[in-house]
Amino acid sequence: MELLMSGLPDKDASTGLTEIACLVRRTIAGDSTAFEQIISRYERRVLNLSIRLLGTPDDAQDASQEVFLRAFKYIHRLDVQKPIEPWLVRMTINVCRDLRRTRQRRWNTFSEITESNTQPSGDCGNPYTGLAGEQRRQILRNILDTLPERQRTVIILRDVEGLSTSEVAATLRLPEGTVRSDICRARLKMKHAIDQIMGGQS
Amino acid sequence: MKCAYPPEVLAGYMTGELSISSSDNVKRHLMECPACQEFLATLEENGSILRSFRQETASELAVAAAHRGAMSRIEGLQSKFGWTTIERFLFLGLRSPGYAVAGVLLLAALSVSLLGAIQQSGPVSPRAAATFEGNDTLLLPVGYREWVFVGSSIGLNYSTNPAAADRRGPQRFHNVYIDPVAYKHYERTHEFPEGTVMMLEIASAELKAEPGLQGSYEKEFVALEASVKDSRRFKGGWAYFGFSDGAGKLKPKAQPFADSAGCLSCHQDHAETDHVFTQFYPVLRAARS
Repeated sequence: MELLMSGLPDKDASTGLTEIACLVRRTIAGDSTAFEQIISRYERRVLNLSIRLLGTPDDAQDASQEVFLRAFKYIHRLDVQKPIEPWLVRMTINVCRDLRRTRQRRWNTFSEITESNTQPSGDCGNPYTGLAGEQRRQILRNILDTLPERQRTVIILRDVEGLSTSEVAATLRLPEGTVRSDICRARLKMKHAIDQIMGGQS
Repeated sequence: MKCAYPPEVLAGYMTGELSISSSDNVKRHLMECPACQEFLATLEENGSILRSFRQETASELAVAAAHRGAMSRIEGLQSKFGWTTIERFLFLGLRSPGYAVAGVLLLAALSVSLLGAIQQSGPVSPRAAATFEGNDTLLLPVGYREWVFVGSSIGLNYSTNPAAADRRGPQRFHNVYIDPVAYKHYERTHEFPEGTVMMLEIASAELKAEPGLQGSYEKEFVALEASVKDSRRFKGGWAYFGFSDGAGKLKPKAQPFADSAGCLSCHQDHAETDHVFTQFYPVLRAARS
């Protein structure tokens, strides 16, 4: 099975699973260093997803701390036969949704990310350099932020993070058909909005 | 240039959301429809931009800060014994019968004690603010200066013979404290609960001792008294205690003043709320407003 890890070396999924199961058991037994190892493995994943879901690095910090705090509290509910990552991803989505609701930031999801708080990836393959490209990126960020909650989450997992449709469905515990139609609808909405803005300018 | 081909099918075609047969249909249609080719190209451009957002990741500094923050919050959580601990205990029970039995017993014990606490709403024994030795010997309450400061008065008394009172010398400051649990209860219910302890710290007053200095101020502590509400121990509901040994020192414990001292009757007759002179303390009046 293809795991959701985008950044974790998961050459051998079953080895990873037993290792995590061991860390989980040690955590439950009261060994907080074991939980720290879990944090170290998944903190980038959780923090990056939080940045994408919330748009502001400060909020993402709060969210990621809250996610691990909740994970620690409820670690005993985790079925160690199953991978921990979808569980953490789900928790991240819920925490970010709650944070977003309380903070009511409906605009500029990504706009607060500046070069100073994000790392350049060293990848120069982005074809949308230059003003028009940057403008389009900005518009897309804004439109993404105005999508309905579920469509937004689905698009961030599917198109931004690059999970497969079945992985998104499993993570969100939604039928694949629902995820598929959310993906299509959201893509069309974004295209429609961009066409309107870009078309109106030219 | 418009085409009637369903756009959601194109949006799904892009990343293989369609079945093989639908996918083949789209492929065939695309070959002969420039409008749909253009439509798809725009969708793909957007997809490529969205993918590029993936490159925006948290800095190592931010990761380290999040790590530290999470660990310190977890350590804070570990020091508390809360519902999570109980839940975890019970939850683990589902996997191990030994734990389950212990968990159920723990829950039963908790419910019994909780029920007991709820049922004890009648007169209860005094709480920690007042500690008695034997039936009525009150141990000197400690830490009362950290209680709620009720207020201060100067030379307040209901003496029937003011001239005799004057002969006692300059008037004294009375500083009154109430134990915080009783205060909270009073704030909530406007009644003093069983076990209420109030401390009266008496200080001598100095009057205009220096040229140019007006008014009076507290000079030395001269006495310490306590009043305790405990209707199981004391006939009148309240009892009054003096901790001064007469030689300027405090006694570690005290017996209640005899009825002949007149404390109880005076408080009974003149105090506004259940033997407490709330009429002289705006703090107590504010607490119930």
